[in-house]
Amino acid sequence: MAAGAARNDLDRFGIIFRASPRQADCLIVAGTLTYKMAPILRRVYDQMSHPRWVIAMGSCACSGGVFRTYATVQGVDQIVPVDIYVPGCPPRPEALIEGLLKLREAIKRESKNWGPYARKEVAI
Amino acid sequence: MTEGLLKEIFENFNQEIFEVGEFRGQLYLILKDRNSIKPLMRFLKERSFNHLQTLTAVDYSQLGRSYRFEVVYQLYSISNRCALRVRVPLKEEENIESIVEEYPSANFFEREVFDLFGIRFTGHPDLKRILLPASWKGHPLRKDYPLEPEEKPEDFLSLKEFKEILATHGIK
Repeated sequence: MAAGAARNDLDRFGIIFRASPRQADCLIVAGTLTYKMAPILRRVYDQMSHPRWVIAMGSCACSGGVFRTYATVQGVDQIVPVDIYVPGCPPRPEALIEGLLKLREAIKRESKNWGPYARKEVAI
Repeated sequence: MTEGLLKEIFENFNQEIFEVGEFRGQLYLILKDRNSIKPLMRFLKERSFNHLQTLTAVDYSQLGRSYRFEVVYQLYSISNRCALRVRVPLKEEENIESIVEEYPSANFFEREVFDLFGIRFTGHPDLKRILLPASWKGHPLRKDYPLEPEEKPEDFLSLKEFKEILATHGIK
């Protein structure tokens, strides 16, 4: 929230929050994930169009954090493929911005993931 | 208010009461067994205890008592500004009568206690899990429930498998 608001302002990086996963390129998982919520997270991720990326924001999303219990998924990377892990409890806005910039660098390094030479989807 | 009330309770439920006392200014009442809970609740509701603040349970299995659970009812009389705690000991595999008829707000409380402790309330209109998914196994607030069960929910495992299959094909 603070990263998107006036002081840090993600808009200046060209990062705009969308109201729907169908319009989004990147999913930020910003909190703890329970087993009950896991299928719903996967559904939100599946609704995003390719190419798509995921940022796990905070200790809870990265590894389950302090919640090593029966109900908590120990890291969202068990459910969705995570590109960037932003640790911290909670992470500073600067850390999230750093993560987004790291993701931007990683996207620049990617090849054949999107554009005219994109790899074709494999039917399952 | 409280003295008159206690006297009245003793007159009507003398056989069923195990202990009455006050702890840090809070009035409590422990029943001998579960059988008299419904008439007692009806009686207390008639005596202006019109608000069931909460209904919960405690697992005493590691304290070596003769019973395992204790169901706790927190009642409050709004008109008299008076609170009363009713505690009912319960052995393993014992059911207790539902008080939904007396206090409709007990509906969700009893479902929660059933979900997390596995205590069954007979006569409850719709006793099913309220917090955990319907396919969940076990009751997590029981003391013998492991911190992190090795068995994960089935839908979670299928999601994990799905993600791994996609990863082998290089799809994100």
